[in-house]
Amino acid sequence: MSDVLLRCENMAFGYAGRDPLAGEFQFELHGGEVVALMGENGCGKSTLLRTFAGMIAPVSGNIELCSSPLESWNARERARRIALVRMSGIAPERITVREFVSLGRSPYSGVFDSRSASDRSIVERAMDMTDVSAFAERPLSELSDGERSRVYLAEAVAQQVKVLLLDEPNAFLDIPRSHALFRMLRDLAENRGMGIVVSTHSIEYAERYCDRIMVVNAGTVSVAPASDARKDGLLDWTEVGV
Amino acid sequence: MPRVTGLGSPSRYKRFILCFGVILAAVFVCCFCTLLFGKANFGVADLLAALAEPGGEDVSHRILWNLRIPRMVAAILAGSSLAVSGLALQTVFRNPLCGPFVLGISSGASLGVALAMLAGVGFGHFGVLGAASVGAGAVTLLVMMVAFRFTRSSVLLVAGLLFGYFIDAMVSMLIAGAEAENLQVYVAWGFGSFGRLTLDAVWLFAAAVAVGLALVVCSVRYLNAARIGDDFARGLGVNVKVARNCVLLGSSILAGASTAFCGPVAFIGIAVPHLSYMLFKTTNMRVLIPGAMCCGSLLALIAGLFPPSIPLNAVLSLVGVPVILYVMLRGSGRS
Repeated sequence: MSDVLLRCENMAFGYAGRDPLAGEFQFELHGGEVVALMGENGCGKSTLLRTFAGMIAPVSGNIELCSSPLESWNARERARRIALVRMSGIAPERITVREFVSLGRSPYSGVFDSRSASDRSIVERAMDMTDVSAFAERPLSELSDGERSRVYLAEAVAQQVKVLLLDEPNAFLDIPRSHALFRMLRDLAENRGMGIVVSTHSIEYAERYCDRIMVVNAGTVSVAPASDARKDGLLDWTEVGV
Repeated sequence: MPRVTGLGSPSRYKRFILCFGVILAAVFVCCFCTLLFGKANFGVADLLAALAEPGGEDVSHRILWNLRIPRMVAAILAGSSLAVSGLALQTVFRNPLCGPFVLGISSGASLGVALAMLAGVGFGHFGVLGAASVGAGAVTLLVMMVAFRFTRSSVLLVAGLLFGYFIDAMVSMLIAGAEAENLQVYVAWGFGSFGRLTLDAVWLFAAAVAVGLALVVCSVRYLNAARIGDDFARGLGVNVKVARNCVLLGSSILAGASTAFCGPVAFIGIAVPHLSYMLFKTTNMRVLIPGAMCCGSLLALIAGLFPPSIPLNAVLSLVGVPVILYVMLRGSGRS
C-alpha cells in the first residue's frame, strides 16, 4: 500500500456534549483503496464521515489528512484534498449539470470565482468519466435520482481530491447502476490513487468492490479486509434481530 | 475547439453577449430619453450643448445638471443596487420570495423618516435623507448582530421579518397621531421617487452603492455555492460565516442607500433576480450580478420616464408585473 492519506489515532467521534457514538479506534486510509463503511441506521456512519471531512471535531484523539493535522489545514487547501459527497437532499432549482460540476473547481479559483482553461477541461473530463456529459446543459432538478448521483460524483471528481467520502451513494440506484457506481469508485482509486470511504447497506457491493470493510456496531469501530470480514465476525450484526 | 470561457458552453456564451448587448443598448436609449424628456422640452442639440458644458448658466443647463442627470443616476444606482441586494438575499436564504427589504431595512428607513416628518425629530441639515439613513443603518446593525449570533439563515430571516413588523407598528402609531399635512408628505415619500437626489449628493449615493457592491462581489464564491447549501459551501473551502456576513452587510447597505435616496422601492429587488435568471439562463453569479444590475437599471429608467404624477412604486408594479410574469411563464414553459 502506498501513502497514508487519512490517519485516525485513538479517535472517538460523536457530537460535543453527548456520549461518543463509538469508542476510540485506529484507522489508516491509503491511496488506491476503497473502504466500505457499514452499520445499522443511526449507528453514526454519517457522523463518522462528517468527522473525517472535518465538519465536526472528533470527541477525542487526532485525525491527520496527508500527514498534517486535519484542523491545521486552511479551508481551501483542505477542500482540495478531501470531499464528502452526499447524495440525498433536495436538488436546487435552475442550476445545470455543467454549472454544478464546475463548482468543484471553486477551491482552486480566486476571489471572483473564475475558471481557467484547465479548470474547464477538468470539468469536462469529470463529466465524461461519470457519463453525465450527455445532459450537461439540463437542470439538476430535472434529472432522475441515478443521474443526479453521478453528477454529485462528477463534482467531487472535478474537485480532484485525494480522499473521497461518500454517504450512501447507492441508496437511490438500481442494481446495474449501483454496480457501475462501485466500478467507477474502484477506477478512481486505482487510476487516480484516491482513498475512498463509502458508506453502504449492501454487503454484496462491499465484499465485491471494496478492499476493506469498516463496521460501526455497538459503540465500537472495527476494520478488516473485505475477504475476512465475514469470517472475522464483523458482519454478524447483520443477521440478528430479524 | 470550443471557446474557453469558464462560464458554460459556447451557446451560453453567445446568449450572455446578446443579452448584455441588448439590455445595455436599451439602458443607453433610456438614459438619453431621461435626459431629453420632461416638463421643459428641449431638443437634441440643446441637450448635447448642455452636456458638453457642465458649468453653463442658462435654463437648459440647469435643468439638465440639477434635475435630469441626478434623476438618471438615481434610477441607475437604485435599480442596480436593489437588484443585486435582492439577488444576493434570495441566494443566501435560498428563498425566491426574498427581496432587499426582508430584513426590515426599509421599515427602519421609514421609521427614521416618520420620526422626522411626523414627530418633528430634527436630523439637522441632513433632513429626510439623514433620517432614512439613520433608520436603515440602525436596522442593519441589529440584523448583523443577529447574524453574528446565529449561524442558521432561517432564524435570521424570521428575525428580520419580525423587526419589520415591530418597526412598522411604531410607524403606524406615529401616523395615527400625525397631522394631515405632514402625513401627506410622509405618504408621498413612501411612493418612492428618483427625483429627490441632488447633484451634490450623487457622490454619496454612488459611494454607498460601491461599498455594498464590493462586499457582495467579493463573496461571489460563497454565493455560487450557497445555492446548494451552506454545508456544501464549507466543503468547497468557503469561509461561510465571513462570506455570509459580508453578503448580508453589503445587501443591507445597498437596500438602505437606495431607500434613503429614493424611498422604499420594493418591486425591483424581488422581480429583477427572476428576470435575470430567465434571460441569462445561468446560476453563475459572475454573470447574474452584472446581469441583474443591467436589468434593474433598465427597469428603473423606464419607470422613471413616466410622468411624476404617477407614484414610482405604482408604475413599477403596473408595468413590471405583466412584463416579468410574461417572461417567467414563457421561460418556464420552454425549459
